[in-house]
Parts: sequence; C-alpha cells; structure tokens
Amino acid sequence: MAKKEKKDIARANYPKLYTSDPLADLDADTREKVSELENYIMKNCLWQFNSRGWDRRKQNAGILGMTAQLLIGEDVEISTAIDKCYWVDAVLLARNFTARCAWLGGMGAEELRTIMTKLHARIDWLTIDGSLNEELTVQNY
Amino acid sequence: MPYHEFEVSKVIPERKLHAVVKGPGEDLTSCLPKGYLNTIPGSISERGCAYCGAKHVIGTPMKDVIHLSHGPVGCTYDTWQTKRYISDNNNFQLKYTFASDVKEKHIVFGAEKLLRQNILEAFDAFPEIKRMTIYQTCATALIGDDMAAIAEEVMAERPDVDIFVCNSPGFGGPSQSGGHHKINIAWLNQKVGTLEPEITSDYVINYVGEYNIQGDQEVMLDYFKRMGIQVLSTFTGNGTYDSLRGMHRAHLNVLECARSAEYICDELRARYGIPRLDIDGFGHKALGDSLRKIGLFFGIEDRAEAIIAEETARWKPELDWYKERLQGKRVCLWPGGSKLWHWAHAIQEEMGVKVVSVYTKFGHQGDMEKGVSRCGEGALAIDDPNELEGQEALRTLKPDVIFTGKRPGEVAKKMRVPYLNAHAYHNGPYKGFEGWVRFARDIYNAVYSPMHRLSAIDISKDDYETGKGFVTRRMLSDADLSEDAKASPITGYTGKFDPIPDLRKKTDYPVFARRVAAAE
Ligand code: SF4
Repeated sequence: MAKKEKKDIARANYPKLYTSDPLADLDADTREKVSELENYIMKNCLWQFNSRGWDRRKQNAGILGMTAQLLIGEDVEISTAIDKCYWVDAVLLARNFTARCAWLGGMGAEELRTIMTKLHARIDWLTIDGSLNEELTVQNY
Repeated sequence: MPYHEFEVSKVIPERKLHAVVKGPGEDLTSCLPKGYLNTIPGSISERGCAYCGAKHVIGTPMKDVIHLSHGPVGCTYDTWQTKRYISDNNNFQLKYTFASDVKEKHIVFGAEKLLRQNILEAFDAFPEIKRMTIYQTCATALIGDDMAAIAEEVMAERPDVDIFVCNSPGFGGPSQSGGHHKINIAWLNQKVGTLEPEITSDYVINYVGEYNIQGDQEVMLDYFKRMGIQVLSTFTGNGTYDSLRGMHRAHLNVLECARSAEYICDELRARYGIPRLDIDGFGHKALGDSLRKIGLFFGIEDRAEAIIAEETARWKPELDWYKERLQGKRVCLWPGGSKLWHWAHAIQEEMGVKVVSVYTKFGHQGDMEKGVSRCGEGALAIDDPNELEGQEALRTLKPDVIFTGKRPGEVAKKMRVPYLNAHAYHNGPYKGFEGWVRFARDIYNAVYSPMHRLSAIDISKDDYETGKGFVTRRMLSDADLSEDAKASPITGYTGKFDPIPDLRKKTDYPVFARRVAAAE
C-alpha cells in the first residue's frame, strides 16, 4: 500500500449540478415513490453525509449507481476496496428498498433506471447542491 | 427558513440562526441551523475547549499510556474521570492523570525544563508504562514551549519509551471539536505506520470513533471475534498505543462516531486506500445492518446473520416490552455531537418514544443534517444552546425525559425533568443488542420513577394524594395497556447487573481456517 502525500485541493471546487430541486416538476405519483426511497435513505443511512461535497458526490454516484444495477439485475463491477465498500452499502439499500416498496417488483429495467436516476438527483440536491451546510467546500477533511 | 427565536435570546439576535423547527415539508435545503462557529459573546455555552476535545474525549481512552497535560493543574483536573471509558487493564487511564503543574513563574521563565522533569518523573513512577501522550494547553502554547523537542530528547535518552505530542491548546477551535480534528491528524502524521502489526486473520479492521463507554467497545469486539475478524486497533476506547501505530495495515475502517474520528478515516482512505464504512452500533436494526455490511465486505455474511439471529431472539422480546410502555413519551435528545443522529431514529422506531428536540453542543452542520433528517416533524433543533435557552425549551416542550450531559442534566432535574447521561450513560453499555435493552430499561426507569413524580409536586401549592402510600409497575406503566400486554410473562430486562466481566473472561471463540496462510 503506497503512502500518498499530495493533497488534491482542487477537489473542493466541484461543479454544481443543480440550482433548484430537480424533482420540482415531477408528476405526483413518481414524486411519492421517490419520496419513499429518499425517506428510507435519510432516516437510516450515513453514507450520503460524508463531510465534503466532492466526497458526497462520489458516494452518492457510487452507491446509488450500484443500487440501480442490483435492482435491475445487472452485474456490478468491483475493482477496488473502495468500490467494494460502495457495493456493501448498495446491497443493503437494494434489499431494504425491495422489502419496503413492493411496487419496485412490478417495474421493468427502464422504469427502475429512471426512478433511480431521479432519486440520485434528489439526494445530490439535498446533500450537495441545495445543502445549507457551509463546510462542504472546505479544502481539508 | 424556519428559524426559532428564543425569548431569552432576543438580546443576542445572532442566536436566531442557531435554532430551527422542522415544519411540514421542510428538508435540509430549507431547515438547518448554523454550526461549529465561535460562541457568540453573551451566550453562556456548554461547550468544552479544544484541549478537552483532544485529551479528554479522544486521547485518554487509550489505556496503556501516561496522559500528561503541559499546563496548569486546573486543565487536567477538569478533564479527569468524568467520562466512563473503562479499560481491561484495571482502568489505568482513568485512575491517574498527570500535569506539569505550570505556575506564574514558568509563564515568565518558560516551562520546558519543568515538562522534561515531569515526563521523567512520571515514567519513573510507573515503570511498567512505556508510552506517553503530552497535551498542550493555552498557557504553554502562548509562551511557545516546544513540547516536541523535549519529547525527542527524552526518547533519545530512553529508547524504550515512545511519546506522542498533541498540540491542541484550548483556543485551537470554536469547541472541543477543533481538538478532535487536531489529534486525529497529529496521530496519523506522527504515529501511524511506525510499527508493523501482526496480522492473524483474513479479515482485518480498525474500529474507529469508539470510546468504550461502560464497555461498548468490548461488546462490539465480542461480535467481531465471533465473526473471525481481527480488530487491529480501536481508536481509541480500550485501545493500546502500539496497536494504533499499526492502523495502516487494516483492510477496512469501521467508523462509529464520525464526528470525532472521521478525519483519520478519511486520511487513511486518501493515503493508504483503506475504505471507510460508517456504522451504527445503537439499535437492533441499525446494528444488524452494520454487522451484515461488514460481513458482506469480507464475504462472511453468514457469520453476521448467525449472530443477529441469536441476539435478536434473546433480546428483542424484552425491547418490545419496553416499547409498549414507552409509546409517545416525549424526549429531548441533547447530547454532545454524534448521538443526536445515532439515536434519533432508532429510539423512535424501536422504543416508541417521540423526539421533540435535538441539540448539539459542538457538532457541525453535518451532524445536524443527520439529526434533522432522522427526527420527525415539529422537532426543535438547536446548535450550541446556552443554559437559558435550554430552560426555555424544557418549559415549552415539556419532555418526559432528557438525554444529555451531566451539567445540563442536573439543571433538568431541578426543573423536574428526569435525565439520562448521554455521554457516560447511566447503566450502560448501551451498544449491542443487549445494551439497547439496557438503555430502554434506563429510559423506562427514568420516565416512571415514583421519586421523580413526587419531586414534581410542590407541596406549598399543588394538590397531592395522601391516601396512596406506594405505586407498582402495573399502576404506573401498565394501567392503559391491553389485557394481553398486561398478561405478558416478560417483566423487562433480565440480563446481568454488569455484562462486561463475563465478556472479559470469554475464550471460546470459533477458530476459522485462514484463506491466506502467510501474513501479508
Ligand atoms: S481553555 Fe485553555 S486554560 Fe481552559 S481548560 Fe482548556 S486548555 Fe486549559
């Protein structure tokens, strides 16, 4: 295991993806469904709250991306220990989603992909782009 | 933005930004108090200093170490013995505290000689202890004492000793949290990688942000050992100095208190590629999912499932017994930092109580994000409250019980609100499947205590019953329950007074064959 000394300070200047709630115009039924998933994450998970915005971006993309693949039934590629950590959280999330939201079972691959993309956008909005947390852009941990 | 202005703080308008009420439809983009800012002058904060955060919270739970504060004796005394982070070496780190006892003359002439003499005397007084941590305080930082140079000198003179220098004087941050950060990074920079640990399992973790309050760490270690996982180090409760020097060899960092220890996990991830997995050791569901995740990571989920099944079968019925009796009880969850999110959701789901307020003394906005998310509508969230705000909140929210530190806890008691110690616990450990039932038992006893009820009566003006000499459980907590619930053969927690001695004696852990024969 190599010891990396250099710190990447540019990472604190990550670009914004959303300037307003990306789900504002969503139809009520889909909104309701995304809310159910969002509520589970916000009450039970911790991975979306790493201390810095750039880190949250990676966590959200890694874990929610893999959760979508698991729900759809696609293979998940795990090449590093950090990927494996994402996968672990994704497995638990997929299981808890399936156990709580029976409607997920009736969805096809495209519908699942769409709803998970919306969920990802919403979690990014809540925890990064729309967040009131002023420490997200601090350069150090 | 749903800010909440306290009547008592109208004279400190800045305080308004530090409290919010979570209204219907509010989320984190509209409802989050400010946090981790300098305390506003005029507000009598309950915070500790950055030296306290480094020494008292994180440094001292290390058990085989002389913890020496370089400064006046008061700094040391005030950070001694008020947190029950026990250890299995007869509590050396709790029993003894050391100070260089700096006086006015040293401020004028320097205190380095004094420090050196104190280090040598302390090692001589405890010849079996070869490790030391020295902590900077305000006075010695201001006069510019070079603690690191003295430590180097002593280590050169006595090659069998090792000294860690923690440069986190009281003014080094808005609160104790500044000290958490400093000691995390200092330990990583100075000590991690200076000793190669022996690897005895295919599955190796650091257990980080765990302080062994009343035995929490030992409970969790039992689960890890039953899964065949090697816990290389615990940062820092019941942990040894030398094991923490080998943190760089773990496969996974399992992080419990992100508030106090995420920094070292994040840096271990950046520098050594060790992933960070956040877990919750509190609550049956959260703990079960945490063990599952660790199991999944190593491909040994079946071992986690076996533990979860056994422990749930043993303890869940007793937890449910309390849940039935605690329905709707109003709780103010006012801890220091991480427990506001560790506990907020789990106590509502698994014990039936309602969290009416969360606060944090030294948490950052990140902690409030987790806390606000995990409590329900109507909850009042307060950052760095002052004493008058606390009293106002208790008067308006009328909680049945409060979980907080011992200073605000004593104030609450005087206001006739039963209090449980959120930092050092009442009758812990609270972690683990059994520990969670112990917590429920303590809540039940606090809420239904006949003594508390009596204390709430002001005999100079209130009516009170004179014909009733005693009350029983059936009259107190069971009166409104269904006949089925009343007929339950369960009567609450049936574990031991203290479960830790048995854990320390336990040796019959399973031995699993290793996949990789040679240690890496
Ligand atoms: S603020 Fe300074 S003087 Fe006061 S206890 Fe902390 S280190 Fe000591």
